[in-house]
Amino acid sequence: MGGVTGPLPSASARGKALRREIAALGVAASCDAPDLWAASRDCSAGALLWTKARVVPHPPDVVAWPEDVDQVAALLRLAAQREVPVVPMGAGTGSVGGSIPLRGGIVLDTQRLTRPLEIDLPGGSVQVGAGVSGNRLEELLAHAGATLGHFPASLPAATVGGWLATRSAGLLSSRHGAIADMVLSLEAVDGAGEILRTLEGPSGGPDLAQLLLGNEGTLAIFTSARLRIWRRPRERWVRGVRFPSLRDGLRAMRDVLRAGLRPAIARLHDPLDTLLSGADPLRVPQPLRWLAEGAQAEALRLSLRAPLLLNRLVDALPAASLLVLAFDGERADDAAHEGEVALAICDRVRGENLGPSAGERSLEALHRSSWAQAPLFAAGAFVETLDVATTWERAEALGLAVRRAAEGLAFVRAHFANAAPEGCAVELSLLGFAGAPAGEIAGASRDDAEADLEDAQQRREAALAAALSAVADEGATISHHSGVGASRHVFLRRELGEGIRQLRALKKAFDPRGILNPGKLLL
Amino acid sequence: MTVRDDLAAAGATLVEDGEGIRVTPSSVASLARAVAVVRAHRVALRLRGSGDAPVNAPPSGVLLDLGSLDRIATVNSATGIARVEAGCSVAALESAVRRAGCTLGPLLPSVRAGSVGAWLAGPTRGARGIAGARRETAALSLAAILPDGRIAEGRAAPAKAVGPDLAHLSLGGGGRLCVIAAAWIRLFPATPALASAWSCPDVAAAVSALELVCQRRLAPARARILVGADGARLALAWEGVESAAIERDRAARLLAATCSPLPEVPANWVRDPAEGHPIEVDARWASLRGWSPHGDLHLFGLHAGGSFAVFSLPEARAAEECAALARAAGARVIAPRRLRDTGPGWEAAGAGAAWQRLVEVLGVEA
Repeated sequence: MGGVTGPLPSASARGKALRREIAALGVAASCDAPDLWAASRDCSAGALLWTKARVVPHPPDVVAWPEDVDQVAALLRLAAQREVPVVPMGAGTGSVGGSIPLRGGIVLDTQRLTRPLEIDLPGGSVQVGAGVSGNRLEELLAHAGATLGHFPASLPAATVGGWLATRSAGLLSSRHGAIADMVLSLEAVDGAGEILRTLEGPSGGPDLAQLLLGNEGTLAIFTSARLRIWRRPRERWVRGVRFPSLRDGLRAMRDVLRAGLRPAIARLHDPLDTLLSGADPLRVPQPLRWLAEGAQAEALRLSLRAPLLLNRLVDALPAASLLVLAFDGERADDAAHEGEVALAICDRVRGENLGPSAGERSLEALHRSSWAQAPLFAAGAFVETLDVATTWERAEALGLAVRRAAEGLAFVRAHFANAAPEGCAVELSLLGFAGAPAGEIAGASRDDAEADLEDAQQRREAALAAALSAVADEGATISHHSGVGASRHVFLRRELGEGIRQLRALKKAFDPRGILNPGKLLL
Repeated sequence: MTVRDDLAAAGATLVEDGEGIRVTPSSVASLARAVAVVRAHRVALRLRGSGDAPVNAPPSGVLLDLGSLDRIATVNSATGIARVEAGCSVAALESAVRRAGCTLGPLLPSVRAGSVGAWLAGPTRGARGIAGARRETAALSLAAILPDGRIAEGRAAPAKAVGPDLAHLSLGGGGRLCVIAAAWIRLFPATPALASAWSCPDVAAAVSALELVCQRRLAPARARILVGADGARLALAWEGVESAAIERDRAARLLAATCSPLPEVPANWVRDPAEGHPIEVDARWASLRGWSPHGDLHLFGLHAGGSFAVFSLPEARAAEECAALARAAGARVIAPRRLRDTGPGWEAAGAGAAWQRLVEVLGVEA
């Protein structure tokens, strides 16, 4: 979408005063406009629309870069004394606005919390700083012949701390579990400035680590973690399996997991993506190809003005669904053996083995699409991504309910992924019309740009609300692995019910002054 | 108004029980009303479900007998989940899910003998070993009674990222913060176990061999290490419709260099209960090795980092002696109840102040 061309936030008096006090603690801090701008957004759809419109609705007062746990504790004690909000931020790759400083204050950038990595290969663990990026961690582990097994779409940039704060899950979660399953111990600082170090061995009472994971910066800020690592597999077996219907594909996924097999990847595509990943993409109607490819900006915007028509076109497509299965192993025959057992299960549910290339093509397309959103926003579209989850018997109905709820507001795509023995995640993309393209907005007046933004945000929020409402109605969870942030919190009350009271009790226990990421998780 | 008056006013059926009161709620709603009364009066609270060891009400306090809350509402064998009330015995739940072709999997003897509520709120936090050499709580979601009597229930989903996992205020909490009323329990398909056995130079070598198996993600459902005159015998049993044979064969390949395969596994070798006065522990591998000079090990819930284990000493020596040796090896004793280690808790993690604030906010006894 290009560089920042609009007005940048200016330093506030509070920000300048805080910068001086933070610097006195020996912690780097800045009120410079580019730093405030960068700390005011993440990769959520709403924030990307701000970028297109060149607005900064929630700038922090100051950005701080502590380098170790003691500096984080000192900074939080200062903030508690001054009753100033503190919002932790990693690489800003979140998709739900969790790190946006809604009430200003201090953005605590965790990216310098990069204590030296300690890899214990015999013990199968790594001690890693919260600011280390996923890619860097995997590179270092790969050098030692190990892997964490956590490969979310945000891997190239996201930090370990961000994963912990959102209970992240990655592409290989069917085999390795989510980040919460990988944690052996945590180091964090709570809102009172107390350093918490959870115990690695057996302990009594409620599991402190599990109560801190996923807190989205509202209870404590993670500074490091000891995580379980594994020998790096040398071989991968991949296949694409086509099923006559989504229902058959879901049943096969379930049966593979219930049989005790642990595929590295089990990902079921909807009929549109099944066609797109096939050998004959020309069978895909043209308006749908514009959407899938993100090209032809004017045609894309035109087609997105009629999302119901687009969704009906998908309904008319052949109902076949593609399941991508992958197994990892030390030896090629190990991975292949599990794969063949899984194929036999698929065969019982009318699955047709399309061979390795169908699976590999689909995985390549997945990696490309993870970073293909910016061109869509620049072209005048929005893409709202949702990862919701439910048990197997409700999965198909959940996908259908969301499609029906949002079909008049956005074009809906769906994948079924992160398979577990009891259910799976439904990953949804809502693609909608978001006004003028970025190039046109760049030359528009401030009033026109803001009017365009308001209209786009209303369309986006309407589509998101319709989808999340359907998710809540179906009894599913509103977030499988991205957190709640600022974009889904309205539906948190329906999700948690009276559990909101438990959440508030935790808030008072760990953040008695209420300084940590205020406004998130309804806290 | 006394706690007795308020309980009676709330419609509870109550009887004298030693120096306290025993209440037997007949529904989750009546349990919730009773919890609210007890918490409002800030008197001591104990819980007991079907199968749990007999216990009296605490002095001036209340025993909530959940024996009537034993309904199994749903068993869905296709998805592998069951909805059950907390007072149901684990044995009754296992019988019911077996009829549907499922199982709760191998569990510690103390867990099998107690109630679902005690399992989840107890020292194992409902954790079990699962494929991939991980541990996971058996509870997909919980209905928990808050101190004011409200009922908090999470959505049943394979994973969630909607803030902290609030079920962990109940799991392992012994009913101190919240009282578990019902749960969605994860089930495994019931399949015959596939077992193999090896002889090893000594018990420590057998533990190390087992650790290696688990670190390669081949953790068996249960394991047994027996001390013999000429070394140790290691027996492992895998469960899983398709995975058991795969994992057993790979484990055999892995252990070929260090252990000698035995031609057959004697019947019930892995399943026979421990003799004498056994204790149950939660232990890491180093602790299991530390225990190895003393006696047999019976292992459940194995994962890459360690296992639940039953320790027993030869010649039926006292459980107290067994527990002392286990603690010296660094293991945490979880049964029998009279020997259970309560710590280390949040204080050891630097969260003592947060714990104090939490119990104050919730209005429960510290």
